Amino acid sequence: MTIKRTDFIKGRTAVVPAGVAVGALNNKFAWAKAADFANDVEVLNYALTLEYLEAEFYRQGNSAGLLSGKEKKYLETIQVDEETHVATLRDTISKLGGSPVAAPGVDFADAFDSRKKYLTLSHTFENTGVSAYLGAAGFITDKAILQAAASIFGVEARHAAIVGNLLGLRPEGGVYMGAFETPLTSTEVLDAVSPFLTGPDSMKDDAAITL
Amino acid sequence: MNQEHDHQLFGGKPVIEFRSEHDRRSFLRNALLVGVGTTYVATVAGDPTSFLRSSTANAVGTRKGPATNDIDILNYALTLEYLEAGFYERGIAADLLSGRALALVTPIRDHELVHVKAVKDTIKGLGGKPVAKPKLTFPKSTFKSKDKFLATASTFEELGVKAYHGQVPLIESVDILAAAASIAGVESRHAAILADLIGGDPFPAPFEGSLPMKAVLKAAMPFIKS
Repeated sequence: MTIKRTDFIKGRTAVVPAGVAVGALNNKFAWAKAADFANDVEVLNYALTLEYLEAEFYRQGNSAGLLSGKEKKYLETIQVDEETHVATLRDTISKLGGSPVAAPGVDFADAFDSRKKYLTLSHTFENTGVSAYLGAAGFITDKAILQAAASIFGVEARHAAIVGNLLGLRPEGGVYMGAFETPLTSTEVLDAVSPFLTGPDSMKDDAAITL
Repeated sequence: MNQEHDHQLFGGKPVIEFRSEHDRRSFLRNALLVGVGTTYVATVAGDPTSFLRSSTANAVGTRKGPATNDIDILNYALTLEYLEAGFYERGIAADLLSGRALALVTPIRDHELVHVKAVKDTIKGLGGKPVAKPKLTFPKSTFKSKDKFLATASTFEELGVKAYHGQVPLIESVDILAAAASIAGVESRHAAILADLIGGDPFPAPFEGSLPMKAVLKAAMPFIKS
């Protein structure tokens, strides 16, 4: 693993520049070129892995006693949202006849040393999540699953904006990422989150996740 | 946010006046086409399995009425974006905001203007005819105070988010779907920030809700001047 978290965080500005994709409406999206997912269950397991990562991140972060007041309340709600997404995705995968992947091992290193570090990594995860859902949506064939994925995607965008605002980031490029959300391919997303995954259960080693 | 709240947008005053009968009809026709014989997936807040039940019931994609094509959906989106853009242009011009609130709301106006242009260009690119910019007449009270402006904006954005999500399963082209989703995500950011600015709840549910055109128009109808 050569990617360090600091690279990841710095890398975000390169991956999702503000105001990018203005011509997106007339462009082919990344998803139309890649063939990352064989079926809806694979897309959902990909999403599930990201949601596991987020849910565990907030569980640990909210236990660290770094926040108070409105911030604390907001981040607690975000945790519940992510946990709900995990439960929903697992349930959906099972109902489709698939097997939900196991939760990956995670290590957030020093992310909970301070409020600022916690919120900064949260901001990164949320924006990555938004772009991951958008990048994967085109692979979903079932319209009901697609709508469900979109409904999660929108909530991740809410999280990203609010956390960006809690950090006092500049509105454009911090709270908002331009007039359009930007998709990321699964390879880009997995590269970005890999530094936080550990052990045999990590996404890289899971057969259900195609790299 | 609830339906009743939606209905109170702009105090029930008509604010949209279409430039031509063609535009008005093309906008309203969509609502009628999509509204009849169509069951939508309702992502019920707090019930994560609601969409699954809809899935098994095969509710989505089973359109019994005439098909609403992607250009119709884009013209519907364009009209709502015109409405939003015009709303923010007037709100910002009214000079009600300052500091962080102004810094956060100004880009929202800019995004809506970009959305208008992008959706319009897409319709043209597909060989369709974009609806002309409707004439907008907002009640003066909308921009009388910062609180009123932001509260209206918040309601408006929540409606916009639901409107986009209502169209997701109906869009046929994967490229248009991508574009619509990339706009919808931005509307979600707007909705969250506005909720925060007015002391509301930026995270009302773990899933975005959706509304069919018919319901959106029912909420928006009072401000469409016929």
